[in-house]
Amino acid sequence: MKKITSARISQLLFLALFVVMFLQTEYRGSDRLGVAVNAFFRANPLTAASTLLAAKGWVPLLLPGVLVLVLSAFLGRFFCGWLCPLGTVLDLVTGRIRKTSPVRWLKGSVKYWLLLPLLVASLFNLNLAGLLDPIAILVRALTFFFHPLLGETVRTGWVGLYHLIGDRRDLLDPGYRVVRDYLLPFRETLYPLAFLSALVFTAIVWLERFETRNWCRNLCPLGTLLGLVSRLSTFSRVPARLCADCQECARLCPTSFDREILQQEECILCMECQLHCPNGRVSFRLAGARSAAGGPVMERRVFIGGLVGGFFLARLFRFRDPSAQARLLRPPGVRSEEEFLKKCVRCGECMKVCLRSALYPSFSQAGIEGLYTPLLIPRLGYCEYNCTLCGQVCPTGAIPSLPREEKKRQVIGKAVFDKNHCLPFAKRIDCIVCEEHCPIPQKAIRSELAMLTGFDGRQTQVKLPYVVDDLCNGCGICENVCPLEGKAGIEVFAVKDRTPLKAADERTAPLEADPYR
Amino acid sequence: MDRRAFLRILGLFPIAYHWLLRDLAAAGQPVVAVAEGANHAQTTRNAIAALGGIGRFVKPGATVVVKPNMGWDRSAEQGANTHPEVVRAVVEECLKAGAKKVKVFDRTCNDERRCYVNSGIEPALKGLKNVEVKHLESERFRKVALNGKVIKEWELYGEALSADVYINVPVAKHHGLAKLTLGLKNVMGIMGGNRGSIHKNIDVALADINAVFRPHLTIIDATRILTAHGPQGGDLKDVKVLNKVIASTDIVAADAYATTLFGLKPEDIAVTVAAHRRGIGEMDLKKVRIVKV
Repeated sequence: MKKITSARISQLLFLALFVVMFLQTEYRGSDRLGVAVNAFFRANPLTAASTLLAAKGWVPLLLPGVLVLVLSAFLGRFFCGWLCPLGTVLDLVTGRIRKTSPVRWLKGSVKYWLLLPLLVASLFNLNLAGLLDPIAILVRALTFFFHPLLGETVRTGWVGLYHLIGDRRDLLDPGYRVVRDYLLPFRETLYPLAFLSALVFTAIVWLERFETRNWCRNLCPLGTLLGLVSRLSTFSRVPARLCADCQECARLCPTSFDREILQQEECILCMECQLHCPNGRVSFRLAGARSAAGGPVMERRVFIGGLVGGFFLARLFRFRDPSAQARLLRPPGVRSEEEFLKKCVRCGECMKVCLRSALYPSFSQAGIEGLYTPLLIPRLGYCEYNCTLCGQVCPTGAIPSLPREEKKRQVIGKAVFDKNHCLPFAKRIDCIVCEEHCPIPQKAIRSELAMLTGFDGRQTQVKLPYVVDDLCNGCGICENVCPLEGKAGIEVFAVKDRTPLKAADERTAPLEADPYR
Repeated sequence: MDRRAFLRILGLFPIAYHWLLRDLAAAGQPVVAVAEGANHAQTTRNAIAALGGIGRFVKPGATVVVKPNMGWDRSAEQGANTHPEVVRAVVEECLKAGAKKVKVFDRTCNDERRCYVNSGIEPALKGLKNVEVKHLESERFRKVALNGKVIKEWELYGEALSADVYINVPVAKHHGLAKLTLGLKNVMGIMGGNRGSIHKNIDVALADINAVFRPHLTIIDATRILTAHGPQGGDLKDVKVLNKVIASTDIVAADAYATTLFGLKPEDIAVTVAAHRRGIGEMDLKKVRIVKV
């Protein structure tokens, strides 16, 4: 690591803040989360831009992101050099990676090919920014891979210790509790796409072997967006060229002095050049209107190609397997799939925070367009009735943040019995575990008594369960707890009409005869 | 009554009942203590005192498990979990009797963090020394041979098995399948594995487990009971305040008495009947000595 500068201090502080916020994105005994890592997404100009383009309206949650964008128009890419946690991670590791030479083909307009289609797809109602957003990439790698890996490793050790020394392990319990409560994920959850998430992150680190901040200057769509805006910036380095007698800047600069003229678009304001200039010539100042902002933006064909690419992205990847759609359950409060795809930035936070590990990133269930969007898989986890966390952490409001009473009435899907599997129907014996767990106070799963002839020939009284559709919110606990192995005897299916359930006081007449009154 | 008089009477309870009830118990007649009062903690202490005091069960240096029902993410007044004041009173009694450690846990149905917190039980026990309120750890389950009629063996929680004293503290409430859930069914909170699968034979299965795993004391929280839409309720209209706590060493007798609070007869509850038939306890309330305090 180089000498400590203010940029470096700021980077480390924000990285620490990011890690703390990431760990705080977890239920710790309070219904409201104080801080969560969503602050980084709300202050993220790329997610803000793409979401606003898709929503075609104002989303108040994204104000910080818009402010950073406006500020960048004056200051340049300060976000990249002072804030971005992924950039900081790269700065921390890059010193240990031996460099070969820069990759030629990355130098061209690849970054515009990434940014433009993403933004244009948003215009056509598909918000893909999160797929390549640096903070989303980092959060997903942590959520789906590194954090579970840490949890799994520590917990395996802890369990192993029990098998070794038995109850004497209790002596170490207070220490373990601190680690478990503050550092580990609460549940051991395995995620689909864990490998891909780790791979993308690792690839970005791997790119450092060609040049420093390779991802940041040549690929990152957030950096590219800020770079475009920073062309307007009046705050810049003077002189804008390498001095003929020295050229030290070319060595010091992590991003933009690979050519004769400073690439304003790529300068991340780390100020290394100013600090280490042997002749004390370099300064950063408000230079007023500047000529030549550092080369052409992009060729026209790139611009047009980007637009068309975005259009294709938004239109041609819509194919969805219909059988998967029947079970496509979205988090509570999501009323329409179209609106959801406009706003979801695929950051992974809802899946990180989900109490019962009910939410998983979609791989193909929602089509290619739905990659990484959250899905509820009831057999793995159900939506906890009183919990409102996913809405609280969603940075864009794709999952609305609702008060508890309202959230309880949100419809995720509807439960349906499979009489070929469900024990009372298929085997003519009692069960009713689903009814027991149904959290709706009036019970959306009820049962009626029936006299049946058992398969042993004897008359038996069996409780046959049924679902009251007007009360079922599709939370999935019934499917989750169904004691059948493998396939459950009751399953939640997606529904188009997700109008919230009526509140108890809005119901005029009892829905159906309540067998308990 | 002023506090001093109150405490004096309280102090007299153990002495008064100690020899009397122990003799009766020795004679073989099960005793069910039924305490009533708006102060839940005091009512709980009265019920225990009426059985001869906690010292009968908890010796100094003992490790005690107090097993409430805190399986649901519901608040205390909704009646789905044991009332935190009842649990705290039992725990404090154990500590007073010199327990080395009191462990409180349950295998929850909803998220364990939410259940422990929102039942009010974890907050109520916060700060008490030598009291452990931990989530279950799967590695502590041990296979136990039950050799019952439907269950041959099952995983039970190690800390419950190894405790010197196990105090069963269920809440009395409605249950869709078993009609009521009381002391006998509360044992499900120390069961590992796919415990939902015993529902198909729940009465016999619970008798199988309760025949082998016997709590030293059962204290049923009937401070308020859930009369419908159990076992988790959620609607305060289904909750009835009774201000009662029932205590007995005979789990079946305790359940049988609690059943009457719902306007039902002990024979209406298949779980109670099966346990009685298995010889776990007495369900005929005429053969039970009921001590009201």
